[in-house]
Parts: sequence; structure tokens; C-alpha cells
Amino acid sequence: MSNFNVVGKRIPKLDAAQKAMGRAAYIQDIKLPQMLYGKILYSKYANANIVKIDTSKAKALAGVHAVLTGEDVPEKMKMGFIKDNPPIKKGRVSCFRDEVAAVAAISPEIAKKALDLIEIEYEELEGIFDPEKAMEKDSPLVHEHLKSNVLKMPWDVHYGDVEKAEKESAFVVEDRFTTTWVTHCCMGTSGAVALFDASENLTIYTNTQIPSLAQKDFLESLKAMGLKNKRVRVIKPIIGGGFGSKLDTYAYEHVAILLAYACRKPVKMVFDRVEEFKATSTRQPTVTYIKQGCDKNGKLTFRDMRMVLDNGGHTSWGATTPSVMLMPISSLYSVKNVKYSAKCVYTNNTYSQAMRGYGNPQATFAIESSMDMLAEKAGIDRIKFRKINQNHAGEETPQGLKITSCGLAECIDAVEKELHFNDNNEKGVGTGLASLIHVGGGARIYGSDGCGAILKMDDYGKVDIFTGGTDMGQGLDNITAQIVAEELGLSAEDINVVHSDTDICPWDVGAHASRSTFVAGNAALGAAKKVKKKIQDFASKLFETPAEEIELKDKMVFVTGNPEKNMPIGKLLRKAHFSPGGTMLMAEHFYDPDNQNMGKELKGNMSMTYSFGAHGAKVKVDEETGKVEVLEYVAAHDVGRAINPLLLEGQVYGGVVMGLGYALTEEVTVKNGEIMNANFRDYKLFTAKDAVKIKAPVIETDDKDGPFGAKGIGEPGCVPTAPAIANAIYNAVGVRIKDLPITPEKVLAALKEKTVKK
Amino acid sequence: MKPFTYLSPKTVEEAIAFHGQHSETAKYIGGGTDVIVKVKEGWMEPDFLISLKKIKEMSELHKNEATGELSIGAMVTHATLEKSLMIQNEYPIVYDAVSNIGSLQVRNVGTIGGNLINAVPSADGAIPLIALDGVAQLHGADGERSSDVKDLFLAPYKTILKPGEILKKITIPPQAPRTGSAYTKFGRRAAMELPLIGIGVLLTVDEDLETCTRARIVLGVAAPTPMRAVDAEKYLIGKKINENVLIEAGKIAADESKVRDSVRGKAWHRKEMIRVHVKRMGLNCLKKIQKIN
Ligand SMILES: Cc1cc2nc3c(=O)[nH]c(=O)nc-3n(C[C@H](O)[C@H](O)[C@H](O)COP(=O)(O)OP(=O)(O)OC[C@H]3O[C@@H](n4cnc5c(N)ncnc54)[C@H](O)[C@@H]3O)c2cc1C
Repeated sequence: MSNFNVVGKRIPKLDAAQKAMGRAAYIQDIKLPQMLYGKILYSKYANANIVKIDTSKAKALAGVHAVLTGEDVPEKMKMGFIKDNPPIKKGRVSCFRDEVAAVAAISPEIAKKALDLIEIEYEELEGIFDPEKAMEKDSPLVHEHLKSNVLKMPWDVHYGDVEKAEKESAFVVEDRFTTTWVTHCCMGTSGAVALFDASENLTIYTNTQIPSLAQKDFLESLKAMGLKNKRVRVIKPIIGGGFGSKLDTYAYEHVAILLAYACRKPVKMVFDRVEEFKATSTRQPTVTYIKQGCDKNGKLTFRDMRMVLDNGGHTSWGATTPSVMLMPISSLYSVKNVKYSAKCVYTNNTYSQAMRGYGNPQATFAIESSMDMLAEKAGIDRIKFRKINQNHAGEETPQGLKITSCGLAECIDAVEKELHFNDNNEKGVGTGLASLIHVGGGARIYGSDGCGAILKMDDYGKVDIFTGGTDMGQGLDNITAQIVAEELGLSAEDINVVHSDTDICPWDVGAHASRSTFVAGNAALGAAKKVKKKIQDFASKLFETPAEEIELKDKMVFVTGNPEKNMPIGKLLRKAHFSPGGTMLMAEHFYDPDNQNMGKELKGNMSMTYSFGAHGAKVKVDEETGKVEVLEYVAAHDVGRAINPLLLEGQVYGGVVMGLGYALTEEVTVKNGEIMNANFRDYKLFTAKDAVKIKAPVIETDDKDGPFGAKGIGEPGCVPTAPAIANAIYNAVGVRIKDLPITPEKVLAALKEKTVKK
Repeated sequence: MKPFTYLSPKTVEEAIAFHGQHSETAKYIGGGTDVIVKVKEGWMEPDFLISLKKIKEMSELHKNEATGELSIGAMVTHATLEKSLMIQNEYPIVYDAVSNIGSLQVRNVGTIGGNLINAVPSADGAIPLIALDGVAQLHGADGERSSDVKDLFLAPYKTILKPGEILKKITIPPQAPRTGSAYTKFGRRAAMELPLIGIGVLLTVDEDLETCTRARIVLGVAAPTPMRAVDAEKYLIGKKINENVLIEAGKIAADESKVRDSVRGKAWHRKEMIRVHVKRMGLNCLKKIQKIN
């Protein structure tokens, strides 16, 4: 089976050279004739009434073409999946990042100057910044008309009988964990260029991970603007990083549309770094209460978790992350009785979005920290404890997840082999382990989880494949090319992957949930198979041999067992085109996995398959300063099949470094709703010098539904990193840090408290 | 970013003259790693940037072997200092400080003079120069004058320099024998990190290689300007240096400091870091002295 020619090869990213040479065109590089520059003015307060806005001075400034306020936004133009958020606010602001006005001008400098000339009178109101306080009965309301700060969401579920299981447990642990805001830190900042043609059809160049869904959002905006039956074309420039940040449409995109329409000229809106920090979304901060127990043999009996999420001032996809948190809560390790509730609570803080892991890192931090605590209480070795409870292929979890392939045991073994857990470490040195489960075969969040692909071959044996999938730097182009090349007997360079334009590319749900390799990969594979069949049929006539005996390899078509009967694929294609009654060799394929929407009962097989992994860390804690140094890191993943090990390692390294930042250094510092560290000096993203050597053993379980056996691996790298580090710190110096990030202050304070207690 | 005119004088006098012509709207620029950031952010909007790069004498790094005096041109980059064997061997505290500034790219263009005149409490380069009793040589329209580096700073972003005045160089008096020095900064990251606290220690000991005859304990981010912990220094004089003595000195230095809570770090932890690192840097000094002697 693993006798592949292109799949499994370490082929460098196909766009690496143009990126390295500075030729790749990002949104920043796009310049259109007559283009204007848009800028947004944000709220000065976390919570306030807008009493008066005077834009007359801004409008009078030479070079300004339009100034918009909330009054200029059509009533029905709203963002977010519950459509509660207009792109420019009117009357009331609920967080510092709320947009209050926007301008378009002939230069960014003039646009900025115009913003300074807008006069706004606010009436400041008391803000609410603590979600747990905001849940209290007498708390002031962020949105008065909603009557409560708690969102109406369905996250309340009980599988089995937790109360009974708790009574029967031999050991129980209970604790509270918190995580804070972190942000994606894409090297390419956000931006869009919107323009209308003479018939009022919209073209928008934008950094998005969801071209098809964005198209729908923009169509709705046009409709709200009174532009019915118009077309929207979404063009993606090269994207400098996604990590979930581009899974929704944002105010700046809708504002660019409004400005472009108002001015009848292209309008470009690009964020600077400060804006990127302040006006894009974060990962959800969480408060997690966890209780779990096991019997005297160490078998998990129940898990009971309650989470409170800071929803911020408005609702974005962040509020749906509890659906993914449910996955590790119900299904990381075999546990029959599970109770879970999550509440998303409005505050006057910034609001959150999808971010790599989609809730999984927060949940796994609590689960895996608690697993160590339970193992210790039960007196069982922490690695053994995990093996006792590990998942198995064939298992159906309480949530209804059907585990078809599972390499968790092999992952733990691989980590154990690379990192010696029970060595007698020197003082201050310790090891930690944490595992993960994540969707690896799509995730049915929407009605469809599908992706389309159109494949055509030219006269020279080359392929153009038009995919709905999105490459935002993660390497879907390579994966698509390698899958297609493998199937058609070509090399990866023969495949041109086009994913940039909704006018050309078929539909897709988006680059999220680690789904692209699996779903877009299967779509590409399906199309390639259809074309292959056509080639075989054509060659079968030519060579007068049954189609099943036609093989494609090394850019040649030949007859099995009779290799003299052959023809270069290009020649065959020309023959197909130039013969009488000629035919084109192209195909389309739409792949929509057979997974399930969870529905009201919160039960269902979300994904066709699940990826697993185990991370191990060795750390050294400076007991006088509280500083943690990561000495070794091993991240083993069950990926089904590595289509491209080089890119796979890249995903794992990048994920782990992101996870280490989450564990140790990164936090958006928010003070009364205001972001205090909107720059890379104070937002402590890991630098190259901080990055540690990472070993990334790959476990291949050859998933039955994955393209060539592959499962998704985009997110897992950053899922169990924080608990692996927290567990290692505990192992090293005996203090358990339950709040991320694990700063030297927190470690030192805990060490001091421990000494006092002694 | 507001556009500006870039001037490149070849002598100190020419630079001062340019500045005189455009006084209100001109700014000197060294490596530009602070200036350009400010111009881009709109915190500074000069019409003229007067580059000091072409002034040869300002980029000279030179030790007078006869007198033992070290002269560091204000335009000497952190990278030049970092790579100098003389600095590495004879002024380890300078090496410790400059080799961890920002990143390689920042050190390649950022200058020691710019670091001083930018005058932030976290300036890594200021600490060793204060510890070494450095003297700043200034040149302005009214002529030349000098000031101890420790007296250069008035407040964050504010020095004693008069408008148009240039920092030409820093001179370091000859070092006493049996002197050791070391600096460290405490932060969350390994690079691109302004210190949460910076700690420099310099010790000179008697012929017994133990008794302290001279001590400098200099702290960054412990007050609005770089500061010397003079009480802690005094405490050390005449004492036989060992871990316990240094622990006490660390405590005194921490008490002297004026650390504050900020979004970057808590005061109590900064104090702890002063304590721990005065001890560690002190031991480091002692080790260096004992290794050579
Ligand atoms: C990414 C990054 C990381 C950094 N990391 C650190 C760090 O870790 N530690 C640290 O201490 N600093 C750091 N800095 C700050 C900066 O790099 C240093 O302060 C550097 O030494 C400044 O030198 P410069 O030559 O670039 O100064 P410039 O930006 O050219 O000038 C700074 C100021 O000094 C004035 N000036 C410059 N030279 C003279 C002179 N000879 N006479 C009179 N006035 C003069 C200028 O007018 C200006 O006000 C960092 C900066 C960046 C951008």
C-alpha cells in the first residue's frame, strides 16, 4: 500500500520560492486604479452611549471622499452568526474595538487625519469585565434588550449517570482552571479591497479562510444595502497566516464595501499591527471547573465539567467553541459518564473567534492537568494511568464519536521512547505528558461539510485543479498537488492548484477544523480518479486492452505487464483532443463526508475520523526566579498518513511553538476592557531564539476514509502543549499552576506559598 | 508616516550647524531603531533627520593602552561591541548587556549612543556604562562638555542634552586590577525583549581576592531612570565577598529600588529578581576575578 511515488515525499512548499523572493502578492500589495484608502475609528470606551457625532470637519478635509457613521449603515447589515453586530455601531458601544466611524480618502495619511477630526461625545457607562460576575442576577447588562448577559446556547449535556458514577468512584479530584486571551499573530495583517463594477456587482479581495461563506455574508450585506440580485466575487490574495482568524467576515470588510459603494471607487482597508491586535478576535478566555474520578484500578468513572466563556461585547464564532470543547471532554480517554455545561457571557471585553484548536486547548488544559492530579491521588503512574484509559479503534464515545482508527497508544509509546519519564532528574527538572483528540475527518458544523474540485488536463500532461479549499500558508496547495499527482502518475510540479477566486473555484465550507487535507484532499482525489478513469478508457481503446489494465506512472500511460505498450500522458491527451469526436479530459467532484451534525441532544459523529496525539515535555524550573525553560519536547501524532512529512512537521513545530507561547508567555493584557499590549514588544510571542528543539514522531494508522489514509493535523500541535508543560512543572518542583500563561511570577508565588505551608 | 528630509553631515560641527538651521523640526538619527519606530507611529514628526552615520570619529572603538582609557564612539553599534574581543575579555559587563539587545538585526544597526540618548529606564546599554564610571562627551553649539553617564538621565525619554547637542563618545576610565563585572536582564523571552529588570554588578577586590574595595550595583527598570543602588554598594565595601554577603546586598538593593507594578510585571517579583540577580551577578564577578588572578 505504501508504495507511493509522490505521496509521502518531502516536497518543499510549491510557493516557497516566490514567497522567499518577495514576489508573492499579499493584500498589502494590491493596488487598483483610482483606489481610495479606508480607515476605521474605534470607540474610546468599553461601554458608553454615543451622544453626538460631528463629522463635518472630517468631511471638509481635502482628499476625503466619504465619512460614514452608524447612521449610514443599513439596518439589516449585521455580522456574526446570530447577526447582532453592525459593522459600524450606532447609539451604543460595548467594547473598545467597536467601530464608530469610517472614512475613505486618497491616501492613508489623509484618512487618518480625517479620523482625528471626527468629534464624538460619549456618555461613559460602567463596564462589566468579569464573566462570572456578569452572570450574577443583579449585574448590569451589556445588551439591555437581551435581559441577560448569558447567551442562549445549548451547551448542557449529561451522558450516562455522573452522580452514580461519582459515588462509586474510589478517587475523585476537583479543581478550577483558567485560560486567558491570546491572539493569532498572523505575520500578514488583515485587509480587504472592495470595488463595484458599473452594474453594481461587487469584487472583494480579502484575506479569508472561508471564501464561499464570506461570499454569502457579502451578498447579505449587498441585500441590506438594497442591492438585490447582484454578484459577489471573492478573490483571495496570498494569505500571510490564518490560524482561524479569518473564519468569519469582519467589520473592516463590510465597511470597505460600504465605502466603495459610497465613493464608487475601489477602497482598500489594511490593518496596521496595533489595529491587528486591537480589532481582530482572540481565543476565548475560559474558566473551567472540572471534577473527575476513577475506580481503584485507575479506570475513569466519570468526568464533570462546567465552563464559563468570556463572550466579550458581541457574538462571533467564538461562542460556538463549546461544541468542540465537548469533544475532548466526552472523548479524550474512554469515560462513560460525562456531564458538561458551558455558558458564554457578554462582557465589555474584546470578543473572540476561532483560533487553532477551537476550544480544544482550553478544555484539554483542564482535562490533562486533572488527569495527572487524579493519577497521583490514585497512586498510579501517570503514563500507566493514561494507558489504562486510552481510546481504541472501534470505540463509540458517549458523545457518539465513532473512532475508526486510533494511534494514541503508539503516540504515548513514541513519547516515552524519546523522553525518559522516570529518570531521576536533577533538581528543578521534570517531565510531563498530555494527550489529545481532535477532529481529523472534517467537522459538520454547518449543513454541509463539503468541498468541490474541478480538474482539467491540458495538451501537455499538466493539470489545473480548481479547489474550494484555501491555502493560507499551511500548504494545502502541496497536499492537493501530491494527491492528484499520485493518482495520475505525474509529479507535483505538474499540478497547478487554483484556489483564489470564487468566480473560478467551486464551493467549500472553509479552511477550518483541520479539515482541508481530509475534505479538500478527498475532493481532489475524487476528481483525479474520474479523470484517471477517462484516461484509462481512452487508452483502453487505443491499446485494445481492458481499462483496468491501464496504468499511469512517470507521466506515462502503459499496459500492466506489457510496458512496451505505452504513451506519454501528454501525447494521449492531444490524441483525445485532436481525434474526431474529440473529448476533454476534465472532471468535477464534490466530497461531503458522511459525518453528523450534533443536533439538540449534542450527540453525533462530528467527524469521519479523529486524530490523536501525545506530547511530552522536559522542563527546568529556576526555583529562585520562577522561570521555566523547556529542555526537550516531543510531539507524536497519529496522522493516518503523512502526505508530505516536511509540511506535517512544519504544522507540528508551528503548533507546538504556538502552544508553548500559550503555556508560558502569551497573553493579551486587558485592563477594564482595554488592550494594553497591542505590539510585539509587550505581547510575548515566542521568537526563533525561544523555540525549542521539537521531535515529531509520526504514527500512520492509514485511515480508511482519508485520502491515501490521511487525517487532519492542522490544529493538534497546539492542543495539549500547555498541560504537558504544566504537568512537567509539577513534576519538577511540585507546584501546579492552573492559570495560563504560566509566568515566572505565578511559579515563584506558588513556590513561596509551598515553602510557607511546609 | 510623515515624510522627512534625510541629511548626512560628515563632521560633528556640520551636524550641529544643520541642527541649528532647522532646530525645532530636526532630530538626530543614529541607527534609527528608536527614531524610526517613533516616526512611523507618529509620536515624533521631524521634518529633518540628521544622520550621524557618516561622521567617522563617532564610530570609533579604541582603547588607549598607555592610559588604559577606553573610548566608545556614540555611533558604535551593539554588534561591533559584541564582536570585539577586547570588550569580551576586558569589559564583560558591556558584552553581557549588548549581546542580548533585541535581535541580530537590531544590534547590527542600533548604536550605544542612541541607546543612551533615547533614555528609557530599560536601556540595556546604560547599565554597564554607569557601572564602569563612564563619562559622556557632549558637543553642542556652545562647545564641548562632559557628564558622568549616570547623570545623563532626567526622566524617561529625557536627558541633560541641550537642543542640538550631540553625544560624541563615552570614555571609560582605566579598570582597577582584580575587577569583575557582569550584567543580566530578566524577561519572559530570549530575544526581542526589553528587560523587566536589568541588573549589573561590578566588584573590585583586594589582593586577598575576597575583600571588596569597590562596588557598583546598577539597576534598569527599577526607577524612572537607570539607577545605582548606592546603599548596597556601600554595604559591600570592606566585606569579604561570599554568597551570604551578596544575598544581603541584594536585599538592600531591592529595598533601594523604586520598582512599580505595571502591565509588564509586578513590583514584588521585580524586587525578587533584583535580590536573586545581584547575588548571581556578584558571584559571577567573583568567579571571573578568581579565574584570572
Ligand atoms: C525590535 C527592537 C528591539 C529592541 N530591543 C532592545 C533591547 O533589548 N534593549 C535595549 O536597550 N533597547 C532595545 N531596543 C531599542 C533600540 O534598539 C536601542 O535603544 C538602540 O541602541 C538605539 O540606538 P539607535 O542608534 O538605533 O538610536 P536612534 O533611534 O537612531 O536614536 C535614538 C535617540 O537618540 C538620539 N540620538 C541618537 N544618537 C545620538 C547622538 N550621538 N547624540 C545625540 N542624540 C542621539 C536620537 O535623536 C533619538 O532621540 C530595541 C528596538 C527595537 C526596534
